[in-house]
Amino acid sequence: MHAATLPLPTTPADHRIPGNTGIWVGIYCELTEFALMFLVYFVARAHHPEAFHTGPQQLSTAAGVANTLIMLTSSYFVARALFAMRHDHTRRCLRWMVLAFATGIGYPVVKYFELRWNIAHGLSGNGEVFQMAYYYLTFNHLVHVGWGLLGMLWVMARAATGAYSSKDYAGLEAFACYWHATDLIWLMIFPLLYVLQ
Amino acid sequence: MTSTPRTLTLAWLGLVVLTLAGALLGERSTPGIWTTLVIAAVMAIKGRLVIDHFLELGNAHIRIRRLVRLYACVLPALAVITALFGPHIARLTTL
Repeated sequence: MHAATLPLPTTPADHRIPGNTGIWVGIYCELTEFALMFLVYFVARAHHPEAFHTGPQQLSTAAGVANTLIMLTSSYFVARALFAMRHDHTRRCLRWMVLAFATGIGYPVVKYFELRWNIAHGLSGNGEVFQMAYYYLTFNHLVHVGWGLLGMLWVMARAATGAYSSKDYAGLEAFACYWHATDLIWLMIFPLLYVLQ
Repeated sequence: MTSTPRTLTLAWLGLVVLTLAGALLGERSTPGIWTTLVIAAVMAIKGRLVIDHFLELGNAHIRIRRLVRLYACVLPALAVITALFGPHIARLTTL
């Protein structure tokens, strides 16, 4: 059987919990937290359509696009790392994880330059409703990316010490789920704040 | 169903293209309900690509799969609803 067609050594479909239960409790908390912020965003948008019409024009679309591409690419590398580990290619898995981390670290770097750009252009979060929504959502997401990058270092260390194999990769998969969920949230934030006028 | 390197790469390429197209649309198009509809559709498609190919929820527990898929559908829908019924929502949410 070709490696790419190997079945997952897991429970049947509709019952499988990717990673572990604990990470899904965390992901549900993350999704709920952002759901509340998105609700505030939509209510604020309904109350202040003009502020949300002009708001995205004040932001650096290039920074938003760059961070979207960074999140997508880092997520892709993590998915490739998981695939490699499922087939006992530990060194290949580590190489993908290094690429994922090297890409992912670009997110806070871009955020730093974006913040400097914002301040230079008068977006200091001084109480204007769009800016408040923007800073709450994006800073909160930045914190989640920060946790993810730390988690990435942890699973890289575990993979390097032989803790994962094709028979036991739940920890790596749990991290992958968290990272992809954080990516998913950014894919919602980006159009709402940077694109939709 | 688990992703293969080929499906992962195709999904990633699709996501990149949709991101660039969405950003271009936001920059070039006139704001309005049709633009909002297209942006919301792009959000939903991108969400589904991540959920199915990166998160691989196609064979996950049904509650996890449904909840996450619902999440990526409800948010784009709310963007459209807010564009269509903004004043009504504002009235309903005024204290």
